[in-house]
Amino acid sequence: MLDFYRRLHRAISPSSGDGDEPRTDGGVVSDGAASGPGAESDRGAVERLKAAVDNRFGADFVESSIFWLPPFLLMGLFVYGAVIWNLLISLTDYEGFANAPDYSNLDFEMYTRALADSGFIDAAVNTLILLVAFTAGTLAVGLLLAILIDRGIRFENTFRTIYLLPMSLSFVVTAQFWLWIYNYNNGIANSVIGVVGLGPVSWLGNQDIVLYAVIFALMWQFSGYAMVVYLAGLRAIPDEHYEAAKVDGASTLKMYWRVIIPQLKGATISAAVVLMVFGMKAFDFLYSLVGGYRPPNGADILATKMVREAYSNSQWAYGAAIAIVLFGMALAVIGPYLVYEYRRNNL
Amino acid sequence: MATLELDSITKTFQDGDEEIVAVDDVSMSIDDGEFLVVVGPSGCGKSTTLRMVAGLETITAGTLSIDDRVVNDVKSQDRDIAMVFQSYALYPHMSVRENMSFGLEESTDLPDDEINRMVSETGEMLGISPLLDRKPSDLSGGQQQRVALGRAIVRDPEVFLMDEPLSNLDAKLRAEMRTELQRLQNDLGVTTVYVTHDQTEAMTMGDRIAILDGGELQQIAEPLKCYHEPANQFVASFLGEPSMNFFDVTLDGDRLVGDVFEYPIGDDVRADLGETTDLVLGIRPEAVELVEGGADVPHEFGMTVDVVEPMGDENTVYLQFDPDADTETGATLVATIDGFTRVSEGDTVTAHIPEDAIHVFDRVTGEALHNRSMEDAADQVDLA
Amino acid sequence: MSDDKLRTDGSGAMATTTKLRRNLERMTVEDIALYVVLVLAAGFYLVPIESGLVTSFKTGTAIIETAPFAPPGASGFTFEKWRTAIDALLRGMGNSLLYAVPATIISALVGSITAYGLTIPNWKPSYKALVLALIIAGIFIPYQAVLVPLTQFWSQWVQLGDLLSFVWALGIDDDYVGIVELVVTHVAYGVPICTLLFRTYYKTMSDEMMESARLDGASLRRVYRRIVLPLSGPMFAVVLIYQFTQIWNDLLFTLVIVSTESSAAAPVVLILAGLGTSMEGQDFALRMAGAFFAALPTLAVYILFGDEFAEGVAA
Repeated sequence: MLDFYRRLHRAISPSSGDGDEPRTDGGVVSDGAASGPGAESDRGAVERLKAAVDNRFGADFVESSIFWLPPFLLMGLFVYGAVIWNLLISLTDYEGFANAPDYSNLDFEMYTRALADSGFIDAAVNTLILLVAFTAGTLAVGLLLAILIDRGIRFENTFRTIYLLPMSLSFVVTAQFWLWIYNYNNGIANSVIGVVGLGPVSWLGNQDIVLYAVIFALMWQFSGYAMVVYLAGLRAIPDEHYEAAKVDGASTLKMYWRVIIPQLKGATISAAVVLMVFGMKAFDFLYSLVGGYRPPNGADILATKMVREAYSNSQWAYGAAIAIVLFGMALAVIGPYLVYEYRRNNL
Repeated sequence: MATLELDSITKTFQDGDEEIVAVDDVSMSIDDGEFLVVVGPSGCGKSTTLRMVAGLETITAGTLSIDDRVVNDVKSQDRDIAMVFQSYALYPHMSVRENMSFGLEESTDLPDDEINRMVSETGEMLGISPLLDRKPSDLSGGQQQRVALGRAIVRDPEVFLMDEPLSNLDAKLRAEMRTELQRLQNDLGVTTVYVTHDQTEAMTMGDRIAILDGGELQQIAEPLKCYHEPANQFVASFLGEPSMNFFDVTLDGDRLVGDVFEYPIGDDVRADLGETTDLVLGIRPEAVELVEGGADVPHEFGMTVDVVEPMGDENTVYLQFDPDADTETGATLVATIDGFTRVSEGDTVTAHIPEDAIHVFDRVTGEALHNRSMEDAADQVDLA
Repeated sequence: MSDDKLRTDGSGAMATTTKLRRNLERMTVEDIALYVVLVLAAGFYLVPIESGLVTSFKTGTAIIETAPFAPPGASGFTFEKWRTAIDALLRGMGNSLLYAVPATIISALVGSITAYGLTIPNWKPSYKALVLALIIAGIFIPYQAVLVPLTQFWSQWVQLGDLLSFVWALGIDDDYVGIVELVVTHVAYGVPICTLLFRTYYKTMSDEMMESARLDGASLRRVYRRIVLPLSGPMFAVVLIYQFTQIWNDLLFTLVIVSTESSAAAPVVLILAGLGTSMEGQDFALRMAGAFFAALPTLAVYILFGDEFAEGVAA
């Protein structure tokens, strides 16, 4: 009987075999075995449960859960719990100064309202344009820089450090820089196009231009990132591939186009996913550009509209609905990506 | 110290929808203080078997007992075993002393000075005392190997498990460590299971060797017994370098008939073969003798020397029954002969295949039907 | 011995110069074009920053009279904007440090522990992958999708302000509850990326070493404490730097949790976003000075630990 309690104790305490008495531990087990297979039947229910769980999930499952389960739950609460809660809120009519939404009456009113809201449609279109143009442009610039830097140049580290520098800055900070560059009277942007006799242009005031001006600024900030990812991809390609292509008589341009770039598929996919996510977070940049919730006309995206509707206009449920649309867009990008990584055993 | 008992141990892996059997119904019992070498080609399941004993892999079926205690569900750290890995697996951020103390600190409540004393003693025994305060990265491969060994020894476990511990050393050091390991194991008397793919290690180190192939145990016996009385054709071919000669033959009365030769057998051998007619004749290269005179005696064959590989102490010669025949048809006989015997390519020689040295296997099952007897083999050595 | 050393040094230096000369001679038109492009690109990345820096030292008249990227000149030079910016932002700087430093350290530790539990211990890979997929997806969700619940959570569900009333009793402004909320929030949303970074590192650790430690009798907890944690130094550098930059630079959470720049606990990004905008138009010099001042910590980190930063973003 004493034996049973000792077993039970061992089964319950998560740190069994830890520190104090593993030697006696071993002794206990051999005592148990010595009393014959009949002793099996008095196994504690807890131990049996633990053994069953371990059998199902692997030997260290229970013991290792102390490491990953609490953080996983914390993250799960703040990420998945919040998304589900957000979905729920988007089905209510929550607005104004009420402390909490009324969950008794759920409907899709906020979503039908969004479809009828031309501001929402514009923001959604702008978001798509921003995502596609920003991602494609940044990847192209990053790839070009990576290829140039990978040609065995001197001061490689210096160049790399410079290209990546903007990435270390906050959107709030870079917004200030670009505000200054794009300002109508004495901004650099107008001086530059002035050289070729164009402009001046109201970069942030013209509805047709402002979105692209913002995309350009974001490309400036993140092309260094794309470069770093591509550089890692290029470094993984064996030299023989370059040499083989050279021997085959391919021109430099052809070599990159036909031999090297196709091998950067993995780098392109992971960089594109991350860039799209950055693009969706462009809120910080647009907010700082104007120091408020309303971005320049023509540059409103779902991220800014969502925050504005919720925090400026107190249209909480409507904001939540817009957030769900944004979340759906993100899911459409990362869902396939995660499946792709899972298939390649990269998780 | 302990006995170790594997009873019908089986391990299957799930690979997609396919079930792969890595270890298939292996049973063996290892005596207290015994040095067992588990040997086999890569992928034969020897490492998986060892890892199951260590508790690093779960056992799919069968029971594993240490000292008659079933340990299938006992965690590695509670089995009181120590393992030496192929990569040594030293902790890079700890000094040699810390590496060796780690196991004692984690598995016992011994006071620090006692642990220190044990580490110093073990260090002395292995001749690594001057290295105790260095980091593994400052040590040579051989020194790291000793530390890995010391880390296992200092814990004074019930069972030592070694997974190809010498394979990362160069040839000379490997030969030294082979002897040293045997000596240590002898002195300590700890039950040891040693996995290797190297047949020299298998032949020289173990009290017994267990030969695995395709996850199945082929034979477990003393090294010389495995060598001279192999249980089947696989064991016969796996042990010995150059490998045993095999010829497909058919039993016809009291003769074994091959493609290019006939081999008459006596009643003793004939009795062992029973009704089986599809056979394989085996003869070790060192059992083949080159003799004077023509090939008119029953077990002597006139042959042509195809290739001579001088090894210094001995020559490996490749002989052909019929110089015009395709070498692929198994008409080549490999013989090792004294290094001073002069033969050169193209010579015609007479090879004697003594009947008391032949092995005969069932061609279908591979099972050995007739082996040379170990006593006979020993007699021959005595005579020489 | 020393002679030997000298000689090798000498010949080494000579080899370098010869190599350099040969390199210069071999410079083709193509090479020169390559360097021109690289330098131009470097200019493109630096001009916005350089222009901001010179502008921050300009007087109002100098801004109008000199080119945006030209230095201010003696008459147009002033520290005044920096002084104003520092006055306005110093308080926010302190507040930012107050949550960025603990949140960074905690999330790195939590990430390391989580990654350990999901990498080294032996349990079914397919279940591990499932947990990991859920965690990694957390890196990519747009935070807008959790904002409203987050506000609800902190304002209605978890009344941290009440729980910490003993702190406010000490005379600390109760706005600082926002700092605590920011720490928890950043740690929670930092779990995914920190876990991923540490996991890529732990995957490269030797399996045999871990097994050896387990056989030596160490429990999972002891293996982490004595083997994995001491070997995690390089990855901690990467994660701490990456996470600090992210948390310091983030505006969205500060905006919804602290909400106003007039709050005693307002972080620097929040104050900066509204700096230099007033009735009489935009004061660019002040904005630039503020931007640089606010970016100082991350710039310092980037310049000192650029390689680790690059490693962090590339992972």
